[in-house]
Amino acid sequence: MDEQTLLAGLRTAVADALAHANGVLALRADHGGAVPHLFKSGDDLSDLAIAPRYPMAMIVDTLGDAWPEARLGVVARGCDERALIELAKRHQVNLDNVTVIGLACSAEQAIECRCAKPYPDALVVGQAVEGIAQDPRIAELEAMSYGQRFAFWSAQYEKCLKCYGCRNICPVCYCPTCALESDLWVETGVLAPPFPSYHMIKAMHMVGRCIACRECEDACPADIPLTTIYAALHRDTAEAFGYVAGHSIDEKPPLLLSLSGTMED
Amino acid sequence: MSENNGYEPRIVGFLCNWCSYAGADGAGTARIKYPSNMRVVRVMCSGRVSPELVLRTFRQGADGVIVLGCHIGDCHYAEGNHRTAKRIPMLRNLLGYAGIHPDRLRLDWASAAEGPKLAEIVTDFTERIKELGKLETK
Repeated sequence: MDEQTLLAGLRTAVADALAHANGVLALRADHGGAVPHLFKSGDDLSDLAIAPRYPMAMIVDTLGDAWPEARLGVVARGCDERALIELAKRHQVNLDNVTVIGLACSAEQAIECRCAKPYPDALVVGQAVEGIAQDPRIAELEAMSYGQRFAFWSAQYEKCLKCYGCRNICPVCYCPTCALESDLWVETGVLAPPFPSYHMIKAMHMVGRCIACRECEDACPADIPLTTIYAALHRDTAEAFGYVAGHSIDEKPPLLLSLSGTMED
Repeated sequence: MSENNGYEPRIVGFLCNWCSYAGADGAGTARIKYPSNMRVVRVMCSGRVSPELVLRTFRQGADGVIVLGCHIGDCHYAEGNHRTAKRIPMLRNLLGYAGIHPDRLRLDWASAAEGPKLAEIVTDFTERIKELGKLETK
């Protein structure tokens, strides 16, 4: 489906949603790029945009904090919907107030993101295409010896500028106090952050949380293949606990639960 | 990495106050010998041992980290060690992906009455870390 057809479909869907919602979060063309924008009833929808990808869920989180009662629509790709589900189960967004206008990704986009599910459940615009069953980078990593892996990651993490871009863009990172900013766990004033600290802590925090949107990797100015290890842990979490982050709001994060699957909160 | 001529590894053990620390105490009182490589840190619960803590311990020069807690069902805090039982295996996987041998991190259970078992676990772990040799993280 070409971009104009998708855009036309999206305009209709956004206009429909605006009949019931206080606003619809979508991308708007701006200076040759696109920025997230809260469209309201009566707004001109001609500059609605669909590319590039943008982590919408974190903006829904921000908007929900500012206007808890507002009814919002959001144009969401598969990854955005997974992020919303993950945030909702962690009590960061209230999905009762959110209408998802699902947008499918193309086969090319799915390959580029090595995405397992390049479409949302609430699909409204576009055609769902098959995802990539398993990130091929996992096999590449597992073909290496421990020594090779260590050398590989040491060289990768050595490039880190500690810009926090990977954390800031992450739609499922929301803690007001971040372990990565604690001098106890990640010494300040040292570049690159010592290994194993920053990236290992981040990877561990991604267990049962990472929804595989690859935004961190896109954001990384040093081109560190951050999501390779997240993907491997994602697979392990599915095997060990039958848990897939962002799959269902009723599935609770396994590392927070007891062995029998209960949680005291 | 097997030829470590007499290398004495540095091992940090996080032992829970209610079971394993008491077990280590019992092993000492009963004069059961085990290698002295392990430096013990007493924690209130094995569930208190966060991934950050383990990673920092490695970065500070530990060649191996062992977490010892109450058996499942015996936790003083009922389910504190349940989280440990899930978290440590996942952290072992992570270490492996990053190229740090997962055997450098071990989780085991030892009750207050299991001094001999604790000594056996620590002996076994020390031998394994000797095989793996020094951990170079710099």
